[in-house]
Amino acid sequence: MRSWIAAASGLALAVQIAGCVTPTQPDELFQLKAESAANRAMQTRGFETRDETELLSASAAVLQDLGFQVEESVREVGFLRATKERSAREHGQDITRFLVFLLSTGLIFVQQPPIVLPVDLHQKIAATLITRPVNPESTRQEVRVVFYRVVWKGDGSSGQQAIPPGEQRMEMLRDPVLYQTFFAKLSKAVFLEPFAL
Amino acid sequence: MTRGNIIGMFAAALLVVAHGCAAPQPSPDLLAPTEAQLKIRSIQTRSFDVKERQVAMRGVIAALQDLGFIIERANESLGLVTAARFAEPNYYDVVGVTVTVRPETEGKMTVRANAIYNNKPIDDPKVYQNFFATLERSLFVAKH
Repeated sequence: MRSWIAAASGLALAVQIAGCVTPTQPDELFQLKAESAANRAMQTRGFETRDETELLSASAAVLQDLGFQVEESVREVGFLRATKERSAREHGQDITRFLVFLLSTGLIFVQQPPIVLPVDLHQKIAATLITRPVNPESTRQEVRVVFYRVVWKGDGSSGQQAIPPGEQRMEMLRDPVLYQTFFAKLSKAVFLEPFAL
Repeated sequence: MTRGNIIGMFAAALLVVAHGCAAPQPSPDLLAPTEAQLKIRSIQTRSFDVKERQVAMRGVIAALQDLGFIIERANESLGLVTAARFAEPNYYDVVGVTVTVRPETEGKMTVRANAIYNNKPIDDPKVYQNFFATLERSLFVAKH
């Protein structure tokens, strides 16, 4: 019976680690998704100004206020890329890790060490920001900012098999509040009211 | 072991040694363009009715952002944009793309995109068609 449980939990964990996602086929990689338009709306605001450079430098200042380091900038195409690194520890994950460890201590009876789930340790948050004129007379500019994060996991173990640290994943941050906060700060910095496009 | 056997072994050893001595010669058409190269270039290239390079580049950047790419580098004077992303929802594969924008004739710009999937070039025409369709839409939005 115990060996059954051990085998089942081992299998479940293996499936989880291997990831049940099917790899994306390259031919759909460059296709717009249903959520692309919504993302764009969330990440874009318009400003009534002619001064694109001012908008770009104000954006850089806001990113600095948010703790980002500007890594790349090209004024001619209105481009900024900034990053910051932070801890990615979350209590929820630590609690899950502890519970799984506790529940799997039964494995000791079948000469197996308990399961240790890897948790998120570290993250690098990147922001890419683009300004561009909306109309041909360039009296209106749009600003689009996209936040991403790359998360690195720590180590763990499943049975005799150790899970090495350093597994990473990247995701676009989809929390609207984050973007609203950014644009609120930017509009204060340039003394202009943003409008949704 | 007979004498014949020994001679045979020597002959085999000599053959191996002699074979090793001959340095492999590179073929003279090593760097010559191949049929496949020309084909992939035409798949990766498309021209657009845009007057200014800057407008075309901004269109390229907007299209890549729509597609969820992180813009890594842009160089206005060279018309170069480099971007990358993980192939969400799977976090193990990386897609990279380099786009160059060059003036072709008056009022036309040539856009060339090179995409890689985990350091392996993508040569599927459909991928590039999708990209250019997105780019066309993005340039159209910018114009109107």
